[in-house]
Amino acid sequence: MRAGGDIMRQAIRFRRRGRIVEVRDFSPRTLLLDYLRLTERSVGTKEGCAEGDCGACTVALGRVRDGRVVYEPVNACILLLGQVDGADVVSVEDLAADGVLHPVQAAMVEHHGSQCGFCTPGIVMSLYTLYREAERPVTREAVNDCLAGNLCRCTGYRPIVDAALAACEGPPADRFLAESETIRADLEGIADGADIFVGDDTRFFAAPASEDALAALYARHPDATLVAGCTDVGLWITKGMAAIDKVIWLGRVAGLDAIEAGPEALTIGATATHSAAHASLGALDPDMGELMRRFGSVQVRASGTVGGNIANGSPIGDLAPALIALGAALELRKGDRVRALPLEEFFLAYRKQDREPGEFVRRVSVNRLGAGDAFRCFKVSKRFDEDISAVMGAFRLALVGRRIASARVAYGGMAATPKRAPETEAMLVGVSLDDPASWEPAFAALAADFQPLDDHRASAAYRRTVARNLLAKALHELATGRTDETRLVGERPALQAAE
Amino acid sequence: MNVPLKAIGQPVSRVDGPDKVQGHARYAAEFDQPDLMHAAMVLSTIPSGTITAIETKAARSAPGVHAVITHENAPRLPYAPMAKRPQVDAQGGDQLKVFQDPTIRFNGQPVAVVVAETLEQAVHAADLVRVSYEHADGHTTFDRARGRAPSRGNEKAGRPADTEIGDADAALKSAAVSIDANYVQAREHHNAIEPHATIAAWDGDHLTLHDKTQWPDNDRDEIAHVFGIKKENIHVVSPFVGGAFGSALRTWPHVTVAALAARVVQRPVRLELTRRQCYTSIGFRPHTEQRVALGAAADGTLTAIVQEAFGQTATYEEYAETTLDPARNTYACPNVRTRYRLIEMNTNSPCPMRSPGVATGMLALETAMDELAVALRMDPLELRLKNYADRDQHKNLPWSSKELRACYRVAAERFGWSERTPEPRSMRRNGHLIGYGMATAVYPSHRAKASAAATLLRDGTALIRTAGSDMGPGTYTSMTQVAAETLGLPVERVRIELGDTDMPYAPVHGGSITMASVGTAVQAACQALLDDLAGVVKASPDPRLAAFKAGTPEWRDGGLAGPGGVISFAELMEGLGFDRITAEGQSAPGNESKTHSSAAFGAVFAEVEVDPDFGTVRVPRIVGAYDIGRVVNPKTARSQCVGGMVQGVGMALLEQAEWDERFGRPMNGNLAEYVVPVCADIRSLDVTFVPGEDTIFNPLGVKGVAELGLSGVSAAIGNAVYHATGRRVREFPILPERLLMG
Repeated sequence: MRAGGDIMRQAIRFRRRGRIVEVRDFSPRTLLLDYLRLTERSVGTKEGCAEGDCGACTVALGRVRDGRVVYEPVNACILLLGQVDGADVVSVEDLAADGVLHPVQAAMVEHHGSQCGFCTPGIVMSLYTLYREAERPVTREAVNDCLAGNLCRCTGYRPIVDAALAACEGPPADRFLAESETIRADLEGIADGADIFVGDDTRFFAAPASEDALAALYARHPDATLVAGCTDVGLWITKGMAAIDKVIWLGRVAGLDAIEAGPEALTIGATATHSAAHASLGALDPDMGELMRRFGSVQVRASGTVGGNIANGSPIGDLAPALIALGAALELRKGDRVRALPLEEFFLAYRKQDREPGEFVRRVSVNRLGAGDAFRCFKVSKRFDEDISAVMGAFRLALVGRRIASARVAYGGMAATPKRAPETEAMLVGVSLDDPASWEPAFAALAADFQPLDDHRASAAYRRTVARNLLAKALHELATGRTDETRLVGERPALQAAE
Repeated sequence: MNVPLKAIGQPVSRVDGPDKVQGHARYAAEFDQPDLMHAAMVLSTIPSGTITAIETKAARSAPGVHAVITHENAPRLPYAPMAKRPQVDAQGGDQLKVFQDPTIRFNGQPVAVVVAETLEQAVHAADLVRVSYEHADGHTTFDRARGRAPSRGNEKAGRPADTEIGDADAALKSAAVSIDANYVQAREHHNAIEPHATIAAWDGDHLTLHDKTQWPDNDRDEIAHVFGIKKENIHVVSPFVGGAFGSALRTWPHVTVAALAARVVQRPVRLELTRRQCYTSIGFRPHTEQRVALGAAADGTLTAIVQEAFGQTATYEEYAETTLDPARNTYACPNVRTRYRLIEMNTNSPCPMRSPGVATGMLALETAMDELAVALRMDPLELRLKNYADRDQHKNLPWSSKELRACYRVAAERFGWSERTPEPRSMRRNGHLIGYGMATAVYPSHRAKASAAATLLRDGTALIRTAGSDMGPGTYTSMTQVAAETLGLPVERVRIELGDTDMPYAPVHGGSITMASVGTAVQAACQALLDDLAGVVKASPDPRLAAFKAGTPEWRDGGLAGPGGVISFAELMEGLGFDRITAEGQSAPGNESKTHSSAAFGAVFAEVEVDPDFGTVRVPRIVGAYDIGRVVNPKTARSQCVGGMVQGVGMALLEQAEWDERFGRPMNGNLAEYVVPVCADIRSLDVTFVPGEDTIFNPLGVKGVAELGLSGVSAAIGNAVYHATGRRVREFPILPERLLMG
């Protein structure tokens, strides 16, 4: 059997506790957590929710990037075993050596960062990646970001934050760093660039190594499930009991994760993770950086991909409205045919996208903001991190002097798909930033663009009010010249006006 | 290591910390058993009715399946009545009897269990079971009109239907200033990060249970009654509990399911609840609606308190809470009336959740006090001081100790309460509305009968054993400190074993009673050990011990002091030729509860910042000062308060079951949509303990802290939101939508 590449491997290989492990016989939907807890019997890694919310299952995956081994935290409960191919898998039992606790473990004990201890392994592993990878000095905000995907019900988080800050006071120095040359050599030794195909034509885990191999394999198995980061497909397995028998993992496709930051446009390959794309998106506009910082959690961003987020078509996915407002174009491929379309046209209806059987998302590109362009995007959620937006708004406005020459407005959480607001955009044209009264027709037009639903996340009335206030906030910030640091705390006239 | 001679009061790092940070602590689901099988439950999908057919053929023939157990084929279980329901159980009605009849009492009720070789096979087969129902009318809405008085069992357990001193309604009518308002507290779920799990293994008629429980001894007792076997035949092991907050106080039906499944397949069986099942297979804080009316003289002196509560309960058993306790004795007031009613619904049974009843009652009472302060144009703190209760007026007893005035003063100073400008919407920062709010915290202190065994080993180290559990607060650590101090040993030379019914009896690990109960038993056991040892020394013919026989023995520095210095425990044991010497110690409540009323107290101050465009609320600061009696370990005690504050943020702003009235179940049974605070929601948390110890209440002088840490927090936050915005949201949590659209 051939998957399309020149070399074929019928096993996955990863590094574990200093050894290369090869697994040949596994179900395509085996999750990393089940492998650790049930097969390996390493029960230090916990299961708290089985859907990537609580982070108790966090482990660190090390991969070679730019010649250096980089560790990122992932939720093992929604990560397929096959996805660890090529990685060094580090779990909580592995950090201490010869009875000496790792610096983050010692700090967690000293600062009372563990109470019942059940979230602790995941928190230790998240902090391990912070310790390894974070720029010094490590700030409280950096710790908050690191722990956004780790829920703790006992400690009140403060002792954990104190532990993190104490552990990360100096530069990182642990045995993994001391061994990094060996680890790198081990990982490079198993990086064979081969296509992987484990199973048979009815049930398989495949990981093509090239785009052509992917195109050929998917054309042959259009019923296969494409998996990029698995942060959503993982839930189909753990919660939806989906019988996914054919898995094509995109993580080994060479070049599909490329990020090209050109002078005119930014192009992000479909399998670039949110973490990888964070900096480039943030360079488009600081609001994009802030949006990505609050997108899911570090674990979700380390696994989840830009292409997967788009292809999956969540009605609320925070990235799509922002990219639509920016004016992104999507490129898809089926067999040898490649086509492009404006991102907003990809979303047809609730969870229905313009993607044919056998067709996959290749990349998304965004034109950079011009000299007169202004951009704002905001999300409104109940808790600060790791919360799906009630409403998410994004606005790209081309200004000529103090007037709006053209506008692109998109929202999430206001319709069955991420959606542009054509009526509102039209009403914004010609509006003066200095004349708030002239903004009113645009606010009124939101009612024509959106008929949001009541659901348990928010009522339609609240969504409408927030959508209006988000646009007001954007215009107000632009009018008053407030910049980055006011993005979260600008002056707001809306509630006063409503009274 | 430089070991403190006085172990009690020292910020000792948790002794189980190194195990926990390395993933070595073993929780209920993680014990290896030979030939372990896995169970997956099938739950009802309707709230009320009868099973008319249950199709299990496909499941039975699925790969790896050994049994599919339903009401049609389950062994009949005796469910022998217990002589006295333990206080952790519902005090009225009858517990859910699994697979004993086709009646459906709530959505999520176990209707079948599949046992298979692997978890995946069990889950898959459970998905193949098809159940047909005949629907019956049930109650899935919270309708105050159906409120009924608690039954006699709950009255006797301290949840009376009606109480009154003076004439509150008349006093309310004639009050110079009054307020009258209704408050809603949402159904909340514990959501400990460890899901509940049980491994059951039979050996003949002996049963071993590895279970998540806050009370191993009662777990054993309950299952013994369910199966009609002697409790001595059951061994419960539960060394680590991954958080519970009340959810593991009582023995839930799934424990019986696991034991039943293991008996049917004659192999050990593991049953772990999924996160979603944790919303219906274990309890929750009941949805509660309250009315509070307060009357006062113009100077703020309270003249009337009326507090009425309607609490949600199940149809098959009756859970009630002490929601109205705080109304009766938190403030001095001559006229107090309370009224408690229960609303039966087709739901699984509620149960205590951290600061049970009190957190709910205080939320309403302390919000109402804030409303009264506004009506009086009086500082909210001044209003509390004006009505300070020097006695427990409900029991007509003095407090065994009360340093609440100090709590108010210390917390107000640390918070900077004097900088508050009283007008709502008067404080702003960076375009946000800023609000300051405060509330009183209180939780009654209780203790219960407990025992412990203290053993001195040949190497001079001590081993302490008691069946109590440690769900996270640090029982292992605090008991180590009590034993170390009593024995005069460094903490490193004391080891504690917990959570095993082979050990001496311990009461429930809940209600913040562990330190006062088990702690005093450990103290007594260690003292008994020293007394025994002294007796043996006195009787010993060994000439080396002759110098240590005179007078009262003085134990210090890890041994017995004599004229020539200290003889260490190891040398003593060597001299006596003992491998080990063990003594048991007991403790029990004495007369103190008849002569005094005991409670822990605190004052909580919160700052909020509100985004007026979206109604989002953040909490930059919470400051609390607490009177918990003697502080055994400031590190663990502080953590209890900080953890309580964060659950208070959840209660005030985030947490609620989104109840689907059509189906009678929560829609958001997961950790993505049942929103608990994340790290970034929490900023500065400041905890101070005011000096004090309560040796009237117990010999250790401790009062308990865990429940207190949540008490009052959500009211302080809500009051701050009012101060920030001028909007009083009386339905909790204060969701952005309720604040913006309200």
